[in-house]
Amino acid sequence: MSQFSVLVQKELRESWRSFKLLWIPLVFILLGVSDPLLNYFMMDILKAVGGMPEGFEMVMPEFTPADILAASTGQFQSVGLIVLITAFVGSVSRERQNGTATLLYVRPISYVSLFLSKWVVAVLVAIVSIVAGYAASTYYTIILYGTVEWDRFFAMVGTYIIWICLVMAITLAMSASFKTVVAATITIILVLVGLIIDSFIGSFWSVSPWKLANFALALLSDYYDKTDFVITLGLSIGLIVLFIIIGIVMSKRNASTTKI
Amino acid sequence: MTLLTVTSLTKSFGTQTVVDNLSFSIEEHTSTALIGPNGAGKTTTLSMLTGLLKQTSGSISMEGINDIRRVIGFLPQYPQFYSWLTALEYTEMTAKLSGVEVKKARMQSQKILEYVGLGAALHKKTATFSGGMKQRLGIAQALVHQPKLLLLDEPVSALDPVGRREIMNLLKEIQNETTILYSTHILNDAEEMTDQLLFLRGGKLVERGSLKEVRTRFDEPRIKIQFSSPSEALQFTSQSELPATTEGSVVFVDIVLDQPTMQQLLNHLANSPFTVEKVERVTASLEDIFMKVALDHESV
Repeated sequence: MSQFSVLVQKELRESWRSFKLLWIPLVFILLGVSDPLLNYFMMDILKAVGGMPEGFEMVMPEFTPADILAASTGQFQSVGLIVLITAFVGSVSRERQNGTATLLYVRPISYVSLFLSKWVVAVLVAIVSIVAGYAASTYYTIILYGTVEWDRFFAMVGTYIIWICLVMAITLAMSASFKTVVAATITIILVLVGLIIDSFIGSFWSVSPWKLANFALALLSDYYDKTDFVITLGLSIGLIVLFIIIGIVMSKRNASTTKI
Repeated sequence: MTLLTVTSLTKSFGTQTVVDNLSFSIEEHTSTALIGPNGAGKTTTLSMLTGLLKQTSGSISMEGINDIRRVIGFLPQYPQFYSWLTALEYTEMTAKLSGVEVKKARMQSQKILEYVGLGAALHKKTATFSGGMKQRLGIAQALVHQPKLLLLDEPVSALDPVGRREIMNLLKEIQNETTILYSTHILNDAEEMTDQLLFLRGGKLVERGSLKEVRTRFDEPRIKIQFSSPSEALQFTSQSELPATTEGSVVFVDIVLDQPTMQQLLNHLANSPFTVEKVERVTASLEDIFMKVALDHESV
């Protein structure tokens, strides 16, 4: 346990001193404010830019607060995920490649503590970012579009956090298994290409971890199947555990590839 | 007392055997030098001792100790540190990971950093460190948990002469308190600080013993006579019946060194018309032995 806390402290110091704990939440805040502001001021922006044909009338759709939060989630699901994956995909592999891991591996450390410390801190940075992003988005949504139901809102954020825990578990497990470049490629394929496939042909199935963000949004309104949601949630948590185990095993197996 | 016993240690990668049936033991409070040309298997051997590499066969054992990682300190040839940690933070972290009590870790780290000469850089980030300072920090992290056995991979070969001198002096000091096993291809260093020599070549242990033992085994006593000019040296060689070779104005005479022959040689010199500047008995340097061991086994 004390080893785990020493390693968590090390990872936290890295995230803090390399400014990850600052710039990643900032990216999410920017992503979060962009949709409510852009949509609300779209007419004004178009007028200011000009170039509209004479007598052109455009009807802007009426957005509900849920629509705006869905748009922000879409941003997190593309740009946000890429930022989080690239920030953490080198976490295990880069330490092996540059040799800093060598002086840890020659000590009587447990690979469980080693991997979990990395996952916990990655998840922490991700949660801070997502909460900051949603807080920024919700702040402007409430001011410009009307309030949200708080219990539903927290259920949505909570569900989205489970999805992020899974993404971080995949990212770090791949980092433990492969070199940084390969790990990044596989993670992006698994997560982002998975999302694209699920959105194209996902109507053929109702349970899939890639639908977790959709379920999170559905929690804001009421249109969702509770059983499918619970099964997806269970499946995702199972996958988190599975990827953590893969990460621990592969960290240990690949320890000898560290640069001496 | 024997601290470490290595028996038939072998490591192969595919069909290539990098370390081949290596057996040796290390006594407590001694220094052992692992010598050999590049690619002899020195680093691979050390990696197996640290547990980074798993051996193909053979065993590494320390009496009464299950997890060797608890009682060793390791300094790789090019130690890499987390650039965003200070020297004290880094050493404290490694101390705790090696099982030093949380309460003692900070004090012990501070003490060891002062000992290796980094007292003024405790709170500096390791990113700003020079090569010599990194090597000192490397030694500090290897010593902070008071290991029984210190493993050093080429501890000074990456340093400039000043840094090398400083680190060698530091190691000599440490030598009094712990057991050291280090690899090197710089023979002067080995000559300076060693109780046991292990010669590796092609992954095999080809020669071992104390410096003195190895020296006696390989020593071919020679007499070196320095004349004032090359022509005198040549004349001397052609006149005498001794097995002699000429190198410029120097003549090397290969003879068994006993009193009568020495007498004979000196008489011969005294009666000769040449100007003799110096007569000296030369012993083989470790480098001569190294070359010999390396070549001997090449021809096999």
